[in-house]
Amino acid sequence: MRNGEVYQIDTDVAIIGGGTAGLNSAMAAAERGLKVLVVDKANIARSGAIAGGIDHFVAYLETGEPWDTREAYLKYVGRVARGAADLKIHEAVYCEELEATIERVERIGIPLRNPTTGEFYRTQAMGQPGPYFINFNGKRLKPKMAEEVQRLGCQVLNRVQVTKLFLHDGELGGFTGFDMRTGDFYRVRAKAIIISTGNTSRMFKAQTGNPFNLWYCPACTGDLHRASFDAGVELANMEYVRMTIVPKGFSAPGFNAFFGMGSHLVNSLEERFMERYHQMGDLAPRNYMVWGALQEIREGRGPIYMDCRHLSEKDREHLFTTLGYDKDTLPDFLIKKGYNLEGTMIEMTVSEPMQARPSEQCGSGIKIDENCASNVPGIFAAGDSSDQMGCLHMCTAGGYAAGKHAADYAKKVKHLRQVDSKEMADERERVFRPLGKKRGMPYWEFEDIVRIITTDHFGPVKTENSLETAINKLDWLDAARTDLKADNLHELMRVHEAMNIQQVAKITATAALARKETRFPPYHYRADFTETDDEHYCGLIVVKKDQDGKVTTRFEPLSYEA
Amino acid sequence: MPPVIDRDKCNGCGICDQHCPLDVLYVENDVLEVRYPDECWHCGVCRQDCPTGAVTIEFPLIMLAV
Repeated sequence: MRNGEVYQIDTDVAIIGGGTAGLNSAMAAAERGLKVLVVDKANIARSGAIAGGIDHFVAYLETGEPWDTREAYLKYVGRVARGAADLKIHEAVYCEELEATIERVERIGIPLRNPTTGEFYRTQAMGQPGPYFINFNGKRLKPKMAEEVQRLGCQVLNRVQVTKLFLHDGELGGFTGFDMRTGDFYRVRAKAIIISTGNTSRMFKAQTGNPFNLWYCPACTGDLHRASFDAGVELANMEYVRMTIVPKGFSAPGFNAFFGMGSHLVNSLEERFMERYHQMGDLAPRNYMVWGALQEIREGRGPIYMDCRHLSEKDREHLFTTLGYDKDTLPDFLIKKGYNLEGTMIEMTVSEPMQARPSEQCGSGIKIDENCASNVPGIFAAGDSSDQMGCLHMCTAGGYAAGKHAADYAKKVKHLRQVDSKEMADERERVFRPLGKKRGMPYWEFEDIVRIITTDHFGPVKTENSLETAINKLDWLDAARTDLKADNLHELMRVHEAMNIQQVAKITATAALARKETRFPPYHYRADFTETDDEHYCGLIVVKKDQDGKVTTRFEPLSYEA
Repeated sequence: MPPVIDRDKCNGCGICDQHCPLDVLYVENDVLEVRYPDECWHCGVCRQDCPTGAVTIEFPLIMLAV
């Protein structure tokens, strides 16, 4: 296997991760007249969490209903994401951008309104005080956003995995990446970058054993969580492991659609059990639904089912269509399993955990301020990979906000910063080293070991002892990294993903050690501290690596109106 | 295994190869190969974007049987 060419690119704003947030960032920066580069590990037409489609957009619409205002919405966010969502940032990156975002999504060709009635189809679930979910057909939203980015003249590098960030005097200089199809190596210098690479999947054992049968996109492997952490960027909300309720056999989304349309979660005794765990029953925030399901299964009242029998025929039809908007192949799967819309209850289970936000209304990753900036000048973040954004509504609105702020910053930077050429050459050598090794460990074996460690020790129940055990084992595994081999460029990409998953697992366990309480159970369930302790832990655990390689955590309080 | 290609319908255009988010599909010399079937996310992008309707999704037994 021959290595490819080396290319040098200089740009004003570079976006790493061309999913929903990244493409909205690219639009904002390009509209401000800057030279914009988008780098994606897949193809921006179909990459990231909504590659195959999406069915819901969260919004308040100021219709005059008391729950439909900015104030009511922010109160809801504070209530359901207490301790993880910074309302000042939420207001700046989402509320201020919402109206323009709805307009932009519809302008690029995806109607959020029902095309025949002109009305929004709105449903309620997950702790909302009113129907904040707009149901819509977003199967082509991703390619439409990609077309808009191309129309605005952004340069795009598809199938390129970014491997390292480079600083100059404590400020961003550039980054490196390689093309998984050609072996070409890219050395990029940029005045500002926006990181929008999602969260970390494939970090815990999955229900059928296949680490690609996942709720969220399996291509999101914490590549830039790891790279930015190594560059001294602060991360927050990393201690949470996120799960949901999925069909047995297929870790597919559909939660919003099922509960939004009024489906019930029942146990094998056909009891609606959620009332035991949360006053809102089936409309409770997601973590409580998962918590309830886990208890029912653990206490012997499983399997659990999604009961749709009481829905009207019209609602069942709407539900089935919407499920296919969110996950194209889910209706086929349900039919293949023998479920019909008339009278069958659909067996469900709890999905694999992943490193991601504890609530729909925040993120998990690079700690951002109201300008979407990290603690390192020139490095911005947006979407799921930031600590404050998640879901389509935040990724479209907040992604655009990040693009604006990165553009403003880049305009003030007179010259591209120098990047040490030898360091970039060393990185190229490191990146391609596993390629063509005759003997060694395949990526999947290494990844399996990581998943056993994480699942045994914090997937999801954790204690100080279990977390320290996990960190020790994950540290011990560092020595095996040099044994990893790749027979081709695709495997080389997977090798780097596997190593990133392992490193993020350490960060997650380290942050979880510092939060000596339980919050959003089971996303952060400490068996040695089972109560929520708002007095000491209502806020962010911030984790950072110092220049000497030492990892530190600190607590940053967040406050909310009563 | 997940995407199954109807050879008679596939024209080797390569759109599925370009669009697959998991780098599962490869078109070389106008011939499509499902090279990494175990790494399929079942997102349905290949089926949605295929201009000739050559892709069907087949779920492995483990997903249906458990």
